[in-house]
Amino acid sequence: MAATELSRRRFLLGAASLGSVPLLASCVGSGVGESGGGQASATITLQSSIQDTAPKAALEEIVAAYTGPGSPVTLNSVATEQFRAQLSTYLSSAEPPDVLTWYAGSVANSYAAEGLLMDLTDLWTGDGACAGFSDALRSLSTSADGKAIFVPTNYYWWSVFYKKSAFQQWGVEPPTTWEEFISLCERLKARGIHPLTNGIGSTAWMSAGWFDYLNLRINGADYHRALLAGQRSFTDPEVVAVLEEYRRLLPYFHPNQFSWDAQQAVTPMVNNEAAMYLVGAFVTQYFPEDQRDDLDFFSVPPINPGVPSAEEAPTDGYFAAAGSDNPEGAKALLNYLASPQAQQEFITKSGSSNLPTSPDVDTSGFSPLVQKGIELLNSTQEITQFFNRDSSDALQTTADAALTRFIADPGDIPAHLRDWQAAAEQVFAS
Amino acid sequence: MTAVQDAPVRAAVPPRQRRRRRGVPPLVWAFLLLPLAVELFWVFWPAMNSFSLSFTSWNGVGAARPVGFENYQRLFTDPIFLTALGNNVIWAIGFGGLSVAGGLALAVALNRPGRGVGLYRSAIYLPMVISLAVTGLFWRVMYQPGGPIDVGLGAIGLGELQQQWLANPDTALYAVLIAAVWRQVGYIMVLYLAGLKGRDPSLEEAAAVDGANAWQRFWKVVMPQLRGVNTVVFAVTVIDSLRTFDIVWAMTRGGPYNTTQLLSTYMYQQGFTLVNLGYGSAIAVVIFLLALAFIITYLVRQARAEEL
Repeated sequence: MAATELSRRRFLLGAASLGSVPLLASCVGSGVGESGGGQASATITLQSSIQDTAPKAALEEIVAAYTGPGSPVTLNSVATEQFRAQLSTYLSSAEPPDVLTWYAGSVANSYAAEGLLMDLTDLWTGDGACAGFSDALRSLSTSADGKAIFVPTNYYWWSVFYKKSAFQQWGVEPPTTWEEFISLCERLKARGIHPLTNGIGSTAWMSAGWFDYLNLRINGADYHRALLAGQRSFTDPEVVAVLEEYRRLLPYFHPNQFSWDAQQAVTPMVNNEAAMYLVGAFVTQYFPEDQRDDLDFFSVPPINPGVPSAEEAPTDGYFAAAGSDNPEGAKALLNYLASPQAQQEFITKSGSSNLPTSPDVDTSGFSPLVQKGIELLNSTQEITQFFNRDSSDALQTTADAALTRFIADPGDIPAHLRDWQAAAEQVFAS
Repeated sequence: MTAVQDAPVRAAVPPRQRRRRRGVPPLVWAFLLLPLAVELFWVFWPAMNSFSLSFTSWNGVGAARPVGFENYQRLFTDPIFLTALGNNVIWAIGFGGLSVAGGLALAVALNRPGRGVGLYRSAIYLPMVISLAVTGLFWRVMYQPGGPIDVGLGAIGLGELQQQWLANPDTALYAVLIAAVWRQVGYIMVLYLAGLKGRDPSLEEAAAVDGANAWQRFWKVVMPQLRGVNTVVFAVTVIDSLRTFDIVWAMTRGGPYNTTQLLSTYMYQQGFTLVNLGYGSAIAVVIFLLALAFIITYLVRQARAEEL
């Protein structure tokens, strides 16, 4: 008897813990609905999703040095995954963080359409910190109703990275045409070197890097944007052509790419077991310090001569919550963060190879690699962001599933694309 | 415990019982009602909200748009949901079966005095002390290409079995399952050890005298005495297998290409990564109904068995 009595109590406990499954789901919903400002508070809260060690420390230092209205600033660093999930809750809560880190582009614009972002037009006019930024950045930071809603502070470029010393040792040159690129892969593979590396395990989105670039090189930036906006179908013959070219590259990838993440994929390059990596410039911080100067890159060579040149340049920065109780302080902080001095300090201290958005930053002290990156982006005709930033995180998950499945089993391209289109339609419908 | 102690008291002094029932002190009411209010507000009300959310389409901003049964219709044409449902069945059977069988076997093996038994017991229970997320990270290192598992297989001449355990859709779910069982088995063992301590050894001696062999003594004499523990183990296992989330999320995030999604991870991905709160809630409701069906079926069976 004693045991069954005990077991009933355990059942109640069990029932309570089962109840907590839907509870989790509704906690987020229950806080929303109340809006409007709280009491005016003097200080500013900056919610940051930056998690890489060096950039995080750099931001902490820069924010600590801020002395303008609203100081001292409270800096909350939140894990990127959690930040992404909670962002809408942050913005719509009764007392939102005043300033938040995030990405320019479609995500920021969709929050602006909900009226959740502060109008930052002040910063883009007169003597505001963003007034001198390029037109491309200005249009990227402007919402559909013509208001500036974003403050871009740095961006980076994607390219095929390689080690100069390794290329020298193998006696090969960076390619300038697509056929040269393929034959370079062929030669490296014949020597027992994995021509390409990637990390599509826990960072499955890395598989979209090659998809984006092949689509930009074969079909052009306009088609790419239309496809990601849902105006074209993934079953189009244009997309089939992209995956056919992708399939041609698959034998050249390091087979362990399925298990690695973006950072682990660097290991075979460090050891000269793999040669090239299509990745963002953030990759430099993953290399040991004594190899960073050895890094160089070349742009993915043109495939279809009929399309304009294009590069991916994801832009990072800040926006402010419309519900901030200290809008003047928030704008002052943004002005400070976008200033040439703060940008320069952030880029130098974070050790990444990000580029400043302000034309007034003195870039002469930056590494030759970064100089070359600036030149690459200045000379290209079209700039895109990255798959998720040009579409949405929801569409990115459909790309993750479709592309990783295709890479594991590249046989039936039309079937993969049919599944992808079906999943994408669900995203566009909801 | 209380039932055992109260029984003789009730028989001996019935008047006191009745008096106690008449006047429940206000303090007792307070002790009963306060937790009830807290429970209603913090558990049942949000849970009910989840039901109503599942009939809407909502991204967390602005007003939720009512969509009727659309979310539920979508569920049954959603290939990822169906994969997750199938994986949950595999998980419930694999996780439940392996951890109960392993836990019981270990408990029986270690339920005898001997040198170092305490050490073995603690070593087997130790993984339970580690959180599931850390267990996941630890096993991810074990499974990585060129990691301890591959090296171990190579060392014993099974090199051809080496593979990317977590990236191969044929092995990923089972690789995670083994990590989860590794942690759970110690817990089940402790529950059974407690049960084995409470049994009456004279019954086994009597059975042995009557000529029952060890196998018969275990299944016919010991197991019936473990009925109470079995109930606990069943409930714990069903609940733990349905709410499994962290270890899968830490090890594969439902990948490669959604082949290791469980209902819980898919619910999380929809609800929190993609902020489709309506669709995520619909999945949560399905999880709730499944759990309820399991528990109610078992309770009814248990109640019938007690009546006999």
